[in-house]
Amino acid sequence: MEIYLPVAEMSVTWLVMIGLGLGVGFLSGMFGVGGGFLMTPLLIFSGIPSTVAVATTLSHVTASSMSGALAQWRKQAIDFTMAGVMLSGGLVGTLLGVWLFAHLRRQGQMDLIVSLTYVIMLGSIGAIMLRESLTTLQAYRSGVTSSSRPVNHVWIHRLPLKMRFRQSRLYISVIPPIALGFFVGALGAIMGIGGGFIIVPAMIYLLRMPTNVVMGTSLIQIIALTAVTTVLQATSNYSVDIVLAGLLVMGGVVGAQLGVRAGAKLRGEQLRLLLAVVVLTVCFGLLWGLIATPRDVYSLTLGSP
Amino acid sequence: MTRALAGFLMMMVLAGAARAEDLVSGISQDIIEITSNYTGTDIVVFGAIERAEQAQGRAIVVVVRGPNTLLTVRRRDRVAGVWVNRDSAKFDGMPSYYYLASTEPVDSIAPPRVLARHGVGTEYLQPSAVGSHHDARPFREAALRHLKQDGLYKEAPGTIDFLSETLFRTRIPVPAEVARGQYNVEVYLFRDGEVVSAQSTPLFIDQTGIERRLFNLANNAPLAYGLICVFMAMLLGWISSVLFRRPA
Repeated sequence: MEIYLPVAEMSVTWLVMIGLGLGVGFLSGMFGVGGGFLMTPLLIFSGIPSTVAVATTLSHVTASSMSGALAQWRKQAIDFTMAGVMLSGGLVGTLLGVWLFAHLRRQGQMDLIVSLTYVIMLGSIGAIMLRESLTTLQAYRSGVTSSSRPVNHVWIHRLPLKMRFRQSRLYISVIPPIALGFFVGALGAIMGIGGGFIIVPAMIYLLRMPTNVVMGTSLIQIIALTAVTTVLQATSNYSVDIVLAGLLVMGGVVGAQLGVRAGAKLRGEQLRLLLAVVVLTVCFGLLWGLIATPRDVYSLTLGSP
Repeated sequence: MTRALAGFLMMMVLAGAARAEDLVSGISQDIIEITSNYTGTDIVVFGAIERAEQAQGRAIVVVVRGPNTLLTVRRRDRVAGVWVNRDSAKFDGMPSYYYLASTEPVDSIAPPRVLARHGVGTEYLQPSAVGSHHDARPFREAALRHLKQDGLYKEAPGTIDFLSETLFRTRIPVPAEVARGQYNVEVYLFRDGEVVSAQSTPLFIDQTGIERRLFNLANNAPLAYGLICVFMAMLLGWISSVLFRRPA
């Protein structure tokens, strides 16, 4: 039942890793997120060195996003123009992120920065989604059909370099999508995530894209970003474990397919409510790890820092 | 390590000149190959004492040392309610694995001076360099505590079996999470608190087969390796998508 990981240089129970991939993949397919924000902490928790966890999770995200994206593609729910524009910012962000990753690791503050960033990002996004989906659901129940608020974010519409995104039925400046891509690219390299849990809400609430194209578009841009970051991590940190990646991917792709089906049975607001709950749970878990008194205030690292 | 080695060589010369008790030892295997189902193994260290004198005042210590590594210990302090890494200390040249089997607890075998010279006993291991801005002792204790908890450092007194007056044997576990590289199996014969004879045998732990090839690929051709990972992920994603496609 045990299998040896050649790069992580340790043994794991392969069934557990496939199960991990399956569970996280299910959520990916359901919400259109890569699942890296769950996978990376879970891998570290099961004893995988954090450098290997961050780099290897990316492959899992590529695969489950691939499988999810193809399903969305058949539904013609992908805005390729939007994905391309975001990606142009994302590639620059990734390069910066990989550099920052190495710098923070030398300082010994990697874990703190990663946890703090997670808590802040997950906390604010989870709270916004929770509030939004609850008010929508309430309005639904009380019979009020239109929940569309007056168009806010006026500043976004005043920005120059406007472009037409046919699939999303939007005519907006390219600056917000490029900035979003850059931000997510940088964050992804540091945290070992595709960034779906940031992109999806940002597309819905900031760019005001229709929910049905959000999933597919975020997935396709995540695939491209994680593929590039995997290669960058493999060449600069030698920390991608192909055996572990294979196990996670095998579970992940099956889980993603099942997730897409489960997601199709739920309404948008319900999906958002569920995702908000998942995001907030992870957020509180990480927050607890930061503020709870550790069992041992000393920690030990073997080998070069 | 160098200090321990120098002491060891000097003592070999002295022991040879005195023509007193001498030690012959061996190990059950000198290469441990890590394969895909490797979950740790045991090695057997055995030996005999030549020209043995009386058993009184005699002690045997078997030490297995892993390749040297750098230990970084960090201490967290509470800053504005959040636990943050503040102070740290680095200890270089410490073994990444250390297992000690002995006939009795090391402190009752020899005085600390002798134990420190040979690096016998986890408490007596000397780093080749210490990097710290403050008192390094609590950090050193924390490092040893963690290493013992993780099963990388262990002392097992009373685990050497004597098959006869002069023939002994002990079983040493090599856990799954050990560094690859050259290990040293050292056997010490103590008499009245001094080392009278010692022997060191190298033990190699390395990957073989497909693990070896993957590890080499990851390190020698990282670009190809990274691309293979991405390709594999995309291919599996696509296959699953085709397999699960519902006839519309």
